[in-house]
Amino acid sequence: MPVRRIAVAPQVLEFASDDPVAEGALAALYHAAPLSTAVPTLRYGLRRASGGTGYVATSPDRPPFGPASLGDAWAYLEWRATEDVLNAPADGGVFLHAGGVEIGSRLALIVGDSGAGKSTLVAHLMQRGHRMLGDDLVRFATADARFSAVGRSLKLDPNSLSSMPLIARTCSSATVGTLLAAGCWYVSPAAIRREWEAAPARPWAVVLLDAARRNGPSTVERTSAGEAAVFVTQKVLGAAAGGGQTRQEDVTVRLLDGLANVAAYRASGGDPAAVAAALEREVAA
Amino acid sequence: MITTGVTQRPAARPDLVLRRVGSEWVVYDSARAKAHVLNLTAAVILTYCDGTNERSSIAEAIAREVPDLDPTRIKDDIDDALRRFADEGLLQ
Repeated sequence: MPVRRIAVAPQVLEFASDDPVAEGALAALYHAAPLSTAVPTLRYGLRRASGGTGYVATSPDRPPFGPASLGDAWAYLEWRATEDVLNAPADGGVFLHAGGVEIGSRLALIVGDSGAGKSTLVAHLMQRGHRMLGDDLVRFATADARFSAVGRSLKLDPNSLSSMPLIARTCSSATVGTLLAAGCWYVSPAAIRREWEAAPARPWAVVLLDAARRNGPSTVERTSAGEAAVFVTQKVLGAAAGGGQTRQEDVTVRLLDGLANVAAYRASGGDPAAVAAALEREVAA
Repeated sequence: MITTGVTQRPAARPDLVLRRVGSEWVVYDSARAKAHVLNLTAAVILTYCDGTNERSSIAEAIAREVPDLDPTRIKDDIDDALRRFADEGLLQ
């Protein structure tokens, strides 16, 4: 059975499938991540159900999901493969629900609740020529308090592609690494830019995306760095919850060290291109 | 006036971690897995909550270390900060 192993250090994720269509879907999720030959730490499967009706998704420490449609089985597996990476023990660091983009030579960490528009803003910034760490998942290393990239595909609402002609063309031309599944486009950063990966860095800024004002006027304004740090800290504490109090403390203190000189912005509004341009102006200033 | 169980010589819990972030401070409470934002005045007050300083000596320290602060506000700021510290469980 075809197996694809990819490195999301320190995890090694294995995806297996007995179906060519499902295999292609699995390949699109972490398309930009490096392949690995190491022993897998997290194993996933997306297989035809016995009898050939529907698909069954398998993931670590969970009962099989399905039979279900390919889209539903895929959506379940994508959810598990994200949550498992967030919660798995990871010596020396933690994964964080956040986006990250290098604007000029400065790293902006983009945080916000689910649905706030992290992926859309990251995609707009990539389309404007910037490199990324991730749109929803980034790695934080305690040793040097730096954030680094995860080669996971951007998850984009099809409606948002209308304002991203470059990425829309990439999807419509069925570029390898793009996939329309379960109502969302999964777009490999490597399908957008050959050199997509931002260098590991400490953030220059934390950008808080305000989900409640997502459809209002587009604004980017300075806000409390302390409040931004607390927001990020709470995200990390949630991610590190499985590691016990000592690990939580270690990660949090190192995170606060990494944010010592950070600027903070609160961004909102229905025009992510305007927000992206405003962030560029802040960097230039 | 302090009314919420703050002693005359308040003492912060020794396990708290205080870090500067930008122009503010964040105190991390690992036991409760919570972090709080403090302004400079509150951060200085917290550092003087070591169980040996009375509020009067904390006020003298604040006047010395935060010279921009209106002297008439110092006592109220200390009372407010200590009340908040107590409410958040940051004091012993």
